[in-house]
Amino acid sequence: MLDLALQFTVNGLVVGAFYALSALGLTLILGLMEVVNFAHGEFYMMGGIIAYYLTGVLGLDFFASLAIVVLVMGAFGWVVDRLLIRPLRSKDTLSTALVTIGLSIFLVNTFLLLAGTAPHKVATPFPTAPLLLGPVVINETRLFAVAVAAVAILGTHLLIHRTRLGGAMRATFQNKEAAALVGIDVERIYGFTFALGTTMAAVSGALLGSIYVAQPTVGGLVSLKAFVVVILGGMGSFAGAVIGGLILGVAESLWGGFVSSGYQDVIGFAFVILLLLVRPYGLFHIRSERV
Amino acid sequence: MSIRWMVAAAMVSAAVAAPAHADSIKLGVIQPLTGSVAYNGTSFVNGAKLAAEEINAKGGVLGKKVDLDIEDGECKPDKSVSAAEKLIQKDQVPVLLGAFCSSATLAIMPVAQQAHVPLVTGVSSSPALTEKGNTWFFRATETDALLAKGFAKILHDDLKLTRLAYLGVNDDFGRGAVDEFEKAMTAMGVKTVLTDYFEHGTTDYYTLLTRGRAAHPDGIFVAAETQDGSILVKQVKELGINTKVFGVGSWATADFMKLAGDAANGIYAAVPYAATMPNARNKTFVAAYQQHYKEYPGKYSAAGYNVVNIVAEAIARAKAARPDAIRAALEKIDYQGVNGAFRFTDKHQAYGFDEVLVKLENGQPVIVATTTVEKP
Repeated sequence: MLDLALQFTVNGLVVGAFYALSALGLTLILGLMEVVNFAHGEFYMMGGIIAYYLTGVLGLDFFASLAIVVLVMGAFGWVVDRLLIRPLRSKDTLSTALVTIGLSIFLVNTFLLLAGTAPHKVATPFPTAPLLLGPVVINETRLFAVAVAAVAILGTHLLIHRTRLGGAMRATFQNKEAAALVGIDVERIYGFTFALGTTMAAVSGALLGSIYVAQPTVGGLVSLKAFVVVILGGMGSFAGAVIGGLILGVAESLWGGFVSSGYQDVIGFAFVILLLLVRPYGLFHIRSERV
Repeated sequence: MSIRWMVAAAMVSAAVAAPAHADSIKLGVIQPLTGSVAYNGTSFVNGAKLAAEEINAKGGVLGKKVDLDIEDGECKPDKSVSAAEKLIQKDQVPVLLGAFCSSATLAIMPVAQQAHVPLVTGVSSSPALTEKGNTWFFRATETDALLAKGFAKILHDDLKLTRLAYLGVNDDFGRGAVDEFEKAMTAMGVKTVLTDYFEHGTTDYYTLLTRGRAAHPDGIFVAAETQDGSILVKQVKELGINTKVFGVGSWATADFMKLAGDAANGIYAAVPYAATMPNARNKTFVAAYQQHYKEYPGKYSAAGYNVVNIVAEAIARAKAARPDAIRAALEKIDYQGVNGAFRFTDKHQAYGFDEVLVKLENGQPVIVATTTVEKP
């Protein structure tokens, strides 16, 4: 029984790390830029499909492919912000939300056309054989993905808190006008933040494409789970997204393990309803201090 | 606008719409082309297109070309109903082919019945569908009950299974298949150690499989489609579970084996169709399909191919592309498909075709046993 609980917890932590990574991108875009981005799941999907093309079709190395995904999707995110989000920056959040819904539909169907409906595998150099840690089973691909997720999360944290760029980001999202007055190029910060969020979604898509599959139609569920995590953790809260992701992963796993995996997805949404009733600003949201 | 003008306008629009039917016979197809079973729906459409092309190359039916009018039902009941309404009312198709998921088919059955248009499914396997007393509905494929009845004995006698875990996708198909197999296997004295379900599009099965492993089964039964099934069997191997795995769904396909990789080796699948079936009709079909799509046909490609041919033959026999005439002809059909003969019972359930138990070995479904679906 204890072994079982241990295995469920490890399974949950692994899945939770992936939730955290994809939710981090969303918390940057939603929490800081106040853009309700419905195309977040599609950025994740693009990361997976591009990684599949690079490894499966062009035969590139997995690590090189991951680096290319970062560059390509960073540029893509910047272009999306420049062309679609920036013109609507002064409008209400509903206008940008509608634009991202349109973008999401456009991307899904474009990729259905380009990559077809079939699911694809992202090739990795890791063996799929089980790795035993005492009574707990895991494998190398998953360990690697969790490590990359941890590095990405830590890297972003350091970027925001220890660099000039991060300082400019924090200033911009605390008070846009004041930041502009002291000479911060606010538009550049917005563009960079959107690109960063996009890249994080794409990296998690590429990593998970190697563990599960990459397919043009996976986006919807990813977006939904990312929203759950962001609401759980509190909009724009960095620690909240990480802890929210882990909580969701472990809760789903324990619920699925000891109650019924048929209704595993219920747990996340039940959490959100409960939380909105009790703590409407999320577990970790401190209203005056964002980032 | 007066009533007289409205009637006149309606007559004009009817007259304008009518010539569209003159040179071709439209078959309304509802399949999931997006969503988590999009891949399987596309296989069905590929098989259906190939059949239509072959029919048209031979001069069509009743001297007219067969034209597939394809709508995306997304495997969802609401989307499939709007697709059916559009096909019946706007395009005025005399027959519907679809839908894919049992829950979606169940939703469009009353639509077809109300409009008096025959509906033929080649995929939906939930036993309840043919028990609704819907006289406009035909099922040209197996039910889970028929599949279970045919294979339970083979699984028990040949694979010597005694403790089984049942895992299925959480919909009519998965629950139906698990119920029927469990019933049939329990009747043979096989113990059930676990029954559990997962959602369409689930990616992580570690939790489910950890439960499965803790129950110590000597066989795991899985009801899932290509995508879900391939990820699941991969994770079975990742977790180091060495019990026999067998499943229903589209498992005996090249894509399943490609996605599952090495993990597919040694897995058993109970399927109504495999590309390696030895009859001559199938060999021609496989060759033509390969030439068209550069891949082996799977269960759903064969279903699409069969259903279009069955409907075309019914129209030819009826000597008219009218819904009531097509229904009457379907009831008396005797079609030789790629996996044996198809006839319909009084409840419009097909029988007479073959089913196979295959073992997946190095990217090929090797046939272990064959049985024919008897008249239930």
